[in-house]
Amino acid sequence: MPPKKTEDKKIGATLVVGGGIGGMQAALDLAASGIKVYLLDSKPSIGGVMAQLDKTFPTNDCAMCTMAPRLVEVGRHKDIEVITLADVESIKGTAGNFTLKIHKRPRFVDEEKCTGCGLCVANCPVHNIIYVTPEKDKIDISDEHAKIMNSIIKEYEDVEGPLVPILQRTNETFNYLPEPVLRYTADKLNMPLSVVCRIATFYKTFSLEPRGKHIISVCLGTACHVKGAGRVTSALEGELGIKRGETTKDMLFTIETVRCIGCCGLAPVLKVGENVHGLMSKTMVPELLHTYEKA
Amino acid sequence: MRIADESGLKELKNSVLQERDSLRPCITICGGTGCHGYACEKVIAAVENEIERQNLKDKVSMRVTGCHGFCERGPIVVIYPEKVFYQRVAVDDVPEIISQTIINSKIIERLLYTDPNTGVKPVHEDDVPFYNRQKRIIFGNNGKIEPTNISDYIALDGYGALCKALFHMTPDQIIEEVNKSKLRGRGGAGFSTSKKWAITRASKKGMKFIICNCDEGDPGAYMDRSLMEGNPHLVLEGMIIGAYAIGAHEGYIYIRNEYPLAVRNVGIAIKQAEELGLLGKNILNSGFNFTITVHKAAGAFVCGEETALISSIEGKLDGPRPRPPFPAQKGLWGKPTNINNVETLANVPLIIERGADWYSKIGTEKSKGTKIFSLVGKVNNTGLVEVPMGMTLREVVFDIGGGIPKGKNFKAVQTGGPSGGCIPESLIDLPVDFERLTEVGSMMGSGGMIVMDENTCMVDVAKYFLGFLDDESCGKCVPCREGIEKMREILTNICKGEGEEGDIELLEEIALTVKETSLCGLGQTASNPVLTTIKYFRDEYEEHIRNKRCPAGVCLDLISYSIDAEKCNGCGACVRPCPTQAITGEKKKLHSLDQEKCIKCGACFETCKFDSIIIK
Ligand SMILES: Cc1cc2nc3c(=O)[nH]c(=O)nc-3n(C[C@H](O)[C@H](O)[C@H](O)COP(=O)(O)O)c2cc1C
Ligand code: SF4
Ligand code: FES
Repeated sequence: MPPKKTEDKKIGATLVVGGGIGGMQAALDLAASGIKVYLLDSKPSIGGVMAQLDKTFPTNDCAMCTMAPRLVEVGRHKDIEVITLADVESIKGTAGNFTLKIHKRPRFVDEEKCTGCGLCVANCPVHNIIYVTPEKDKIDISDEHAKIMNSIIKEYEDVEGPLVPILQRTNETFNYLPEPVLRYTADKLNMPLSVVCRIATFYKTFSLEPRGKHIISVCLGTACHVKGAGRVTSALEGELGIKRGETTKDMLFTIETVRCIGCCGLAPVLKVGENVHGLMSKTMVPELLHTYEKA
Repeated sequence: MRIADESGLKELKNSVLQERDSLRPCITICGGTGCHGYACEKVIAAVENEIERQNLKDKVSMRVTGCHGFCERGPIVVIYPEKVFYQRVAVDDVPEIISQTIINSKIIERLLYTDPNTGVKPVHEDDVPFYNRQKRIIFGNNGKIEPTNISDYIALDGYGALCKALFHMTPDQIIEEVNKSKLRGRGGAGFSTSKKWAITRASKKGMKFIICNCDEGDPGAYMDRSLMEGNPHLVLEGMIIGAYAIGAHEGYIYIRNEYPLAVRNVGIAIKQAEELGLLGKNILNSGFNFTITVHKAAGAFVCGEETALISSIEGKLDGPRPRPPFPAQKGLWGKPTNINNVETLANVPLIIERGADWYSKIGTEKSKGTKIFSLVGKVNNTGLVEVPMGMTLREVVFDIGGGIPKGKNFKAVQTGGPSGGCIPESLIDLPVDFERLTEVGSMMGSGGMIVMDENTCMVDVAKYFLGFLDDESCGKCVPCREGIEKMREILTNICKGEGEEGDIELLEEIALTVKETSLCGLGQTASNPVLTTIKYFRDEYEEHIRNKRCPAGVCLDLISYSIDAEKCNGCGACVRPCPTQAITGEKKKLHSLDQEKCIKCGACFETCKFDSIIIK
């Protein structure tokens, strides 16, 4: 933007700093009024924080559904020029006539040619990790646990994709996945903690909370559902004074719900540890708990 | 001890048979997970002790088998060679069984199964109505062999098909034979198995993989579990033949962590097969190498989907991805990969051994062979049933299943799990095969068949499935993630009595969009439960929305419990179970129920023997 001589003549070009949802909307509104827009963001792409949200307050709308059309429109609009990986270094001039100095960092990729296929990420020899900030100082693991983890990790040294089996073993060993152990595992495997946590929270097997001595898994599969598994569950909840997913204060029982344990012929079914109890009814619950309390 | 070649296997079989006297009584006890639910391990121990005590070790043998299918009646004991069928056997019955039935050939009347409809008490397993209408070509051997003993399997011609395939057929001939049999995948979609094999075979040379899908996420179905637990060698044999046909040298079995017994048994089976040279390097000295690794899944329904399964084995969590490229072209670690369901693979040895002509005589025009269904829910005989394709629902539910308990009316049957739909009474004469089920808006899925009676609310069922799918959707694509949640919300409102006019139409619109625009099979079929229940039970939806009533008496917010003044005789049985003391009354006088206190838990309804609690 070369500065114009006549100070009072306003020129029809704007710069929007920040390409989040607000910036994009501003850019679109301006462009719709016929003004040329430069949209600048310091990240490698526009979109901002909203892309990381699932829902927005207060309407509970899907964030991506709100954003995606605007992203596309910004990308396509002939009057919007997107400048990414860039920071504003200085601004001079007055309204209608600014001069800016922009520092654009290199992308090391030819933007014209890249189709965003992602192959380079998968093939990067440096662990496929884009942004990692090691948080070594936060790993607060006891020596004993570290020893256990070392031996588990060693066991799966040669396995490709070892994380799931390692976490399975860890979950079995500790009855849940303690936070320090997760941080330690992430560090040992040279993975971002987020990857470990994603696996740990995606699969049903894993628990991030300590669990009781007896884990009661009530089946809420279809066969059990139509045969009144719901009532058995509420009887358990009533008897133990906890909700599903919780553990009693004395750390004796945890109630979990599962979808089918493959004994549908005996619906409704529940498992205490590995023991299957079929054809359950509300009235059988107190006695069942009693036998395990003593055990 | 390795088996050297084909004749070596025959010799082994003969020596096993020779050691065994086919006339010697053999007590088989079901050790499947279902029977463990009835503490069959105690019965097993009791039989062992009793044989020891009476010093019958040389006269009687004993076998702990896999699931017989009739899980509801467990623990099941069958005595060979006559196949005397005892059910609900308790520890105390064991001495009598041995001294009466085994030694004196006397039948113990009270342990026999009684047909609830006719009162007949069949003695032999084959005469039990639950079994005699089935065609148990795959599942039948489950009751005859001990899954942890490879000799049992070999004695029944096990691994014979593998020999035939390795020494008398080329891979192309195998694929052609499977093609002629018209075997279709039992994992859900019913894709032609031979086509899949041919594509994988044709993919460029180099590493290839075969994966056996035993994730069985479909709630209400457990045939894969029972096969893996009860007859793991059958699946292994099918898998080795498949691997040979497509040219794979490494295989994976992806198995649910919730199935510990299956994991154990298949592990033992692999070890035994390796020791005999039926698996591993240079199988039967044919030059063919094949190894199998067991991968324990960690519990996510969507990981049953093939592309998600592959990424899960790779240790990633990428979820489903768009196809093509199909796994047959680019699968595990980027190599051509063939994925088959457990039951599909269990069909293979049969086709090879008996020939495609024999196999394709069973079933309908386009769906060949048999299918194992898990017949569960509100039906008298629950369990696993194997029937030829094309049998009508009526035969399955009423003849094999023995109808609906307590004389209630049949309402619908749900097939295909969360991807399937509800089939109403008007379609009860529908022959069951891949095409017909799809025509009526449901699908075969993995073979769950959940029977529902008049006390099942169809709106609640639809809500239940969407709840399941909402939890299990991986969230990768918007239509599935958002659409299912919205539908669930609407259905929850309807069940709470907050439904509005126009909800049904809105549901239909969302359902169709989700169906057409989702990325993987989970989303694409997620609408089936909603669409079929609306299609066949629209009046029930309308009743919920317009009159705020739940005709089946299930939706808690729309019902109330009360006491029938005519029927109540004041026995007082319901007073104690009520957790909120809502029921009061003097003995032998009419009781009353305080609506303010009632939390609608249904305890009184379950207790009352005189049907005097009414749900409105
Ligand atoms: C959401 C979803 C879940 C699935 N779950 C299973 C499963 O539990 N077991 C299975 O064998 N196939 C499952 N499938 C089907 C598999 O993707 C695949 O089609 C099948 O394993 C192929 O084997 P087949 O050709 O022998 O049927 C699932 C598919 C989807 C979309
Ligand atoms: S359809 Fe559902 S489960 Fe399948 S990829 Fe999309 S969000 Fe995931
Ligand atoms: S539905 Fe409960 S065990 Fe299968």
